[in-house]
Amino acid sequence: MSVDVDSVMGPLGRLPSTAKNIVWPQSERQRERRRIVGLCLPFLILLVFSGIVPLTEMFRISFSEARLVTEGFTVQYYEQLILDPYYRTIAFNTLWFGLATTITSIAIAVPVAHALAKYDLPGESVILTILSFPNSLPGIVAAFMIIVLFGNTGLITNIIAGFSGQSPINLAIATSVGGLFLAYLYSMIPRALLLLRGTYAEVNTDAEEAARSLGATPFETFRYVTLPQIKPGLIGAFVLVFRTALAIFGTILILKSLLVWTLQIDREIAQGFNIAQASAMATVWFVFVFVFTLIALRYTSAEVSL
Amino acid sequence: MASSIPRSSLSARFGRTFIKIVLVTTLVFLSLPVVLTFISSFAAEWIGPLPSGFLTFGNWNDVITGTDVGADVSVGSSLLYSAGLALGGVIINICVGVPIAYAIARYDFWGRDWVNVFAILPLAPGIILGIAFLRTYPDLSTSGIALVIGYSLLKSPYMVMAVQSSFQSMDLQQIEESSRSLGASWIRTFLTVIVPNAKEGIIAGSIISWTLAAAEFNFSYIVYSRGTPPLSIFLYNNITNASFLNAAAAVSVFFLLIALVTIALQIVGNQAAIRRL
Repeated sequence: MSVDVDSVMGPLGRLPSTAKNIVWPQSERQRERRRIVGLCLPFLILLVFSGIVPLTEMFRISFSEARLVTEGFTVQYYEQLILDPYYRTIAFNTLWFGLATTITSIAIAVPVAHALAKYDLPGESVILTILSFPNSLPGIVAAFMIIVLFGNTGLITNIIAGFSGQSPINLAIATSVGGLFLAYLYSMIPRALLLLRGTYAEVNTDAEEAARSLGATPFETFRYVTLPQIKPGLIGAFVLVFRTALAIFGTILILKSLLVWTLQIDREIAQGFNIAQASAMATVWFVFVFVFTLIALRYTSAEVSL
Repeated sequence: MASSIPRSSLSARFGRTFIKIVLVTTLVFLSLPVVLTFISSFAAEWIGPLPSGFLTFGNWNDVITGTDVGADVSVGSSLLYSAGLALGGVIINICVGVPIAYAIARYDFWGRDWVNVFAILPLAPGIILGIAFLRTYPDLSTSGIALVIGYSLLKSPYMVMAVQSSFQSMDLQQIEESSRSLGASWIRTFLTVIVPNAKEGIIAGSIISWTLAAAEFNFSYIVYSRGTPPLSIFLYNNITNASFLNAAAAVSVFFLLIALVTIALQIVGNQAAIRRL
């Protein structure tokens, strides 16, 4: 489903009528309104109980002075996040790593989506299954996949070791930052591809053919005809894949090679159950991603579809 | 003028080859470890570049019956427990997802696009929601109820989208009006005409949200405290504590599950849903 961003952010429109009319409708119009409210109500109840209430509680805990009950008001946990260089390093790690993996996975997903849309590939349904399979794998399995390929006994490690004569132990990159990069890509390329394939399906092929027959090279055709058409989809994919990158936790819990925000949240809990600090970090994460998504949807031509 | 076409440009000569190389590399990168894991789960040892000592079921046996070290429980109990939790999540998802998908597809109302955004974009990822659940529902965490309601919120977008794709191919207003003019009440129309017509989307959405809930790790890891571990925690214990080949067998169990689900989706015939999985 696409979301029309302009109408989301547009003028507020007419305010809904009073609650009384919804419960005891007088006219057909009011009855329809009651139906809409009734249809949305189950979802809203779920959203409130399993989303808004816990997140609000988390927000309150992050200001709590006491450790085991929520009371008092202190901003010390946020102060710590801002003043302590330890947390600044983590924030920096999270952002550059998320950005780098997002750009790389989209840069790989664009040619793949292009091939799927334009070329006659043998066994296309098998290819599609392989490309979408990792979407249903949790991050811990993605990490395991990288260990299988690049760990100490990993296949690629051993192939390179065989050719270069070095010890596999020195060549294994699974638990280095490079290995983590590949593990992120393992979950993010299929996600980016899923989003971009929807975008590619809507590209006007007539214009591309016209450009080619008028003398444009394939690259010029892509640059000046295809790219402008897929740009909203690209930005939308960037927003969603970046969100995914920031939320990755299982992968890094196994590989442990870079201290990022989500891993530190877990460490606050695991080492001494510092729930207030963890809540402050989770709140910062939530607010950052929420505002980032909002700004991206409002000020770019991003088309968010899933 | 045909002669003016620059046939020798770099992209005309190498563009297609370049794109094919990227495609093949991506395919190998994504599929090779899956195949290797599955094969090595039947091997006795993996010391050199390739696993050796075929064909043994020792690793599978350890996973299925459970050893007392490392991954201490058998996969059966974790699988059943996760299946149950995910099923609970799916039932909630059907109850909340189908109505809201219908409201968005059928009616035009104030704030519809916002409702749509909230319905199809996950509110918070597993780890953030897990932290939020820790102190809000401390008593529910041990019983698995917290996992069920957490899963249902985390996976509800998939249900809403699958059902919406079913609704898109239907003329909802006409169907609703025909049914109403034949004397059915609105509620009866919704339950006996609209919902059965969206059957395909509901089944596909259920399968997808069930699989993703059974596979959910980040949320489970934070919220789970004791008792039978959910499937993803079982996998984690195997990957971190068990021998490499035992872990390979445990991960293979999960691959088989996903393969079964993919086949199930193919039988249902919802192509869009398969791609999304």
